[in-house]
Amino acid sequence: MKGLAIDYSILLPAILPVAGLVLVLVLDLVNPRLRQVPYAVAALAALGSAVATVPGLALGGGSTRETFCLTGRTGQATGGATAAGVDGLPQVCLWQADALGSTLQLAAAVSALVCIALAWPRTRRRRPTDSTREPVEAVLLLAALAGTIVVAASRDVGTWLVALELATLPVIALVALSGRRSAVAGATQLLVTSLVSFALLVLGVALWFAATGSPFLTPDAALSSGGAFSAASGAPTSVVFPSVSGGVVALATVLVVAGVGFKLSLVPFHAWTPTAYAGSSVPVATFLATVSKIAALAALLVVLRAVAALGTPALVSIALLASLSMTLGNLMALRQDDVVRLLAWSTVAQAGWVVLPLVSISALGVGASATYLLTYVIATLVAFAVVAVTLRDRPGEGRSIAAYEGLWQRSPWRAGALALALTSLAGLPPGIIGLVGKITALRPVVAEGWVWLAVVAAVNAVVGVAVYLRWLRAVITAPDVVAGAAGSEGPGPAPVAVARRRPVMVAGLVLASAILVVVSVQPDLLLRLLG
Amino acid sequence: MSWIVRMIIVLPALAALVGLLTRRRRGLAAAVAVSVSAYVAVLGLIQWVAPSRTADIESIGSLPLGDLSVPLHLLSDRVSGLVAFVVALVVLGIQVFTAWYLRDDPRYGQFAATVSLFAAGMLLLVQSGDLVLMLVGWEVMGWCSWLLIGHDSERAAARRAAYKAFIVTRVADIAMVVGIVALSVRARSTDLMAVLTAGGDGTLLTIGLVGIVIGVAGKSGLVPFHDWLPDAMEGPTPASALIHAATMVAAGTYVIARLFSLYAGHDGARTLLAVLTAVTMVYAALLALVQTDLKRMLAYSTLSQIAIMLSALAAAPAELGPGAGIAHLVGHAFFKALLFLGAGWLSVLAGATAVAALRGRLRPTGALRWSMGIGLAALAGVPPLIGFFTKDTVIDAALEGATGGGGFRAWLVVVALFVTVVLTAAYCTRAWLLLDTPVAATGRLPDVEPAVVAEEDVAVVTTTDSADDAEVERVHAHGHAPITLPAALVVSVLAALTVVGTLFLASLRGGVHVGLLSALLSVLLVAGAAYAVWSLSDRGRLDVADRIPSRVREPAVRGFGVDTAYVGFGRAVTAVARLVVALDRDVVDAYPRATAVVARAAGRAGERSHRAVPSLSLLSLLVGVVVVAVLGVAAWR
Repeated sequence: MKGLAIDYSILLPAILPVAGLVLVLVLDLVNPRLRQVPYAVAALAALGSAVATVPGLALGGGSTRETFCLTGRTGQATGGATAAGVDGLPQVCLWQADALGSTLQLAAAVSALVCIALAWPRTRRRRPTDSTREPVEAVLLLAALAGTIVVAASRDVGTWLVALELATLPVIALVALSGRRSAVAGATQLLVTSLVSFALLVLGVALWFAATGSPFLTPDAALSSGGAFSAASGAPTSVVFPSVSGGVVALATVLVVAGVGFKLSLVPFHAWTPTAYAGSSVPVATFLATVSKIAALAALLVVLRAVAALGTPALVSIALLASLSMTLGNLMALRQDDVVRLLAWSTVAQAGWVVLPLVSISALGVGASATYLLTYVIATLVAFAVVAVTLRDRPGEGRSIAAYEGLWQRSPWRAGALALALTSLAGLPPGIIGLVGKITALRPVVAEGWVWLAVVAAVNAVVGVAVYLRWLRAVITAPDVVAGAAGSEGPGPAPVAVARRRPVMVAGLVLASAILVVVSVQPDLLLRLLG
Repeated sequence: MSWIVRMIIVLPALAALVGLLTRRRRGLAAAVAVSVSAYVAVLGLIQWVAPSRTADIESIGSLPLGDLSVPLHLLSDRVSGLVAFVVALVVLGIQVFTAWYLRDDPRYGQFAATVSLFAAGMLLLVQSGDLVLMLVGWEVMGWCSWLLIGHDSERAAARRAAYKAFIVTRVADIAMVVGIVALSVRARSTDLMAVLTAGGDGTLLTIGLVGIVIGVAGKSGLVPFHDWLPDAMEGPTPASALIHAATMVAAGTYVIARLFSLYAGHDGARTLLAVLTAVTMVYAALLALVQTDLKRMLAYSTLSQIAIMLSALAAAPAELGPGAGIAHLVGHAFFKALLFLGAGWLSVLAGATAVAALRGRLRPTGALRWSMGIGLAALAGVPPLIGFFTKDTVIDAALEGATGGGGFRAWLVVVALFVTVVLTAAYCTRAWLLLDTPVAATGRLPDVEPAVVAEEDVAVVTTTDSADDAEVERVHAHGHAPITLPAALVVSVLAALTVVGTLFLASLRGGVHVGLLSALLSVLLVAGAAYAVWSLSDRGRLDVADRIPSRVREPAVRGFGVDTAYVGFGRAVTAVARLVVALDRDVVDAYPRATAVVARAAGRAGERSHRAVPSLSLLSLLVGVVVVAVLGVAAWR
């Protein structure tokens, strides 16, 4: 393509999952009887992708690793002043990975790696009668990962939209793949919601293009949305609608927030969350709770960072969504006895915390939001990994809180990991990182003077403690004497029997727990990563 | 010189620690306890003989408390040297005696270590030149008294007595702490010199002095708080000797003596002290007269004698100083330690402490008979003994106060003192006659039924008394272990000190100060009372207390139900606490609980509205979009 410079080394985080995807398909074509090889390929691809993001982490001070740059005069659709490409003006690149984007990409890749470890199939070879699930799962996981990584770095509306869909649609298939009735119900709800949301997103993007005349999601494009608007960018203006295009940009932003809010499961776009989580297998639910959320926030941040150049002080709608999500999520989580459902509702509540700092559309708010997302993702990964391991131990009953009674006595390491994850989510010591995340998230809110929102957040932090301690209490208390007697009557050989077949799963749990422990001991590691 | 002062405090504390670590090895524990207390006694002797008069010996450095200066200095002068030496001497005697007395007690090690710690507390109080250090020593003694009284912790009565002592003195300590805080705030310092020389705020001074009087009343057993002391006889006899002779109960006298110049200028606090001491000395002496148990009789006599010491401080004129009170403290330390250790020895021989069981048991015991005789005579105030001199010094000081414008306060003390002299002589004579008259002369055998205690109600002390249970058990447990030479020597030395101890007081200003007339009068009173008891008891054949109608005597032996009043007070406090708890639970906590209920109800409502139907979620999505869009555009700035 004329005038388009491509640096493939920078694209590696996205290329590797796609390459892995193709490789899995080819392998499946060659030998359809493989079960673990597709997963191994997928794990390697995710690992490679994670490693490839590392050079981007050290970038500081606004420098980016860019490619797909429009160096020459391209003329056609880009039109306008922004992409003029005149010497001296900043060039526009379709792929910009700065420290924040690279960190999100790394988090997505590592989360995907853990999900793959949790979904690791049991036997090497499958019986001929089995359906070909494993390669399909691997392909879908890798596709969604690729979409997530691309969306974090994309800067033009086309890539952004396609990558976001690439991150979403495979997950719907993953949910439906098990074929159970509950899975289909969850997938249906997810599909319906995502379609409408996609429509909203496209509408928002179209409005953006109409207002700015630019297909780029960059600050320059936002500033070009009208003379009056760019003039007012430095100082707050008293004029509400300096121009029609200003209002259109506002509407576009709000619609994008609403569209992405579905993926973040913000109230009122959350209704699919518990159904889909409960219907899908635990690794897929983990994927939904982590990688999908990273994709959503990455997409949202791309738009909001562009809008931030306008000097817009705050967004009431985000405040509304955040407070609603927290409150409803916590209240509902308080009543769940199924741990996956509890985690689903906890996701809703935590999504409120994630977007909470974004009421201040500024670098501070964006950084705080990403920080909180990472703390949430790490802790949730550990919690889900523990659930997955426990579910393998006791397939029938591992999803109720009651099944975790006495876990501390049975397997102290797993219980310790779960306790750390839950306290991190609750924001209590020893989960220091959760506390740090909550404080970081509240800082922009307080700085902007949103007192009522801070109060709502504080109340929800308290309710959240109750949510997680309800589960934690079961973990650390010994089971009743009666239950213990019943258990001793029939000592269960079953856990021992399956225990020998899950080293990879445990490795995933160990990886996630290790990350959680490290950032809990050294929270500034995470804070420094995001500048 | 200052290192001696520090060592006197630190060594017993270290001995307590070492003793606790070596408690399983009896011999070692005893060696540590005895040798350290001997060394401390030598150090005390040096401090007394060659006192360094200094008020700013550093202890652990001052506390950084901002505006309030807390230097934590130690103070060494003639008074502290004398009292420290006497305390160390008595503790040494008790440690030696204990090594024999508790020879077969499995928890001897703990007991000896506690005695060491107790001594450290008392010596800290004596040497302190700072109100905070004084309070620390005061509280250490309070805690140790709990340990010592409850030493026989398998017996419910001992546990109860220990808790009673601890709680009663703690209640009084509330006032003590308030008083110390008030004095410190007034002087902006806790240093004793600063407190004594500070001027200004009269209200704070009143609060401080009255508070300290109440605190002292608790530990020294003045009237409303007196009932814990007789019950404390549940502890082993050496513990009683320690608590009564030179330490805990006498500590109050020392504290008030240290603050004497403040009290001398404050009539209100001194009048309170005078009334409390006058009532206590007469009341306790009356009760001592009717007791059926030797140890309880001694306990009541302690109450009476402590009140005498404090009355000297309440009535003496300012220019005379606190010497009379300190002198009686020293004298009382000697003869009361002698009496308690002698009583312990006697109880081992007789297997009981009830007077009925002890009748005539003193007669065949050579040295012990002499020692007890000297002790009782000193307590009664027979002339050449130390008790006579110190008591008459107090009387003389009070008389001087009365004639020198002391008014009602001093006259009250003088009258109470003379009444007490009569009563003391009477109960001493009674005790001597009962212990010394051969059983054959009484014409009937002593009562043997006493040792039965009402199991269901340990709270009530019966006429037959329960304090001797421990002794009975101890004796039955190991038989009559013959007394060792050191222990017998201790009793004899204490007897000798009771005779010649007056020489100790020569160096104390105002220590011995006997007026001829008052001395003559008190000697006559003692002789008259003794004769009256002797003749009333038919030369010792009868118990003079038996002449009192049992309608009066029974409640008197029980202390007129003061214990019940204490229990009632405790119940009242508990009832108030229950009320507060109920208010907290049902009123204050209702709000937090309400939030939980609301949260749960809201969760239930939310659950009902989430039915996993795609259309519903679509509806909410659309509504949300419209709301968000309108809000977003309208509020866009």
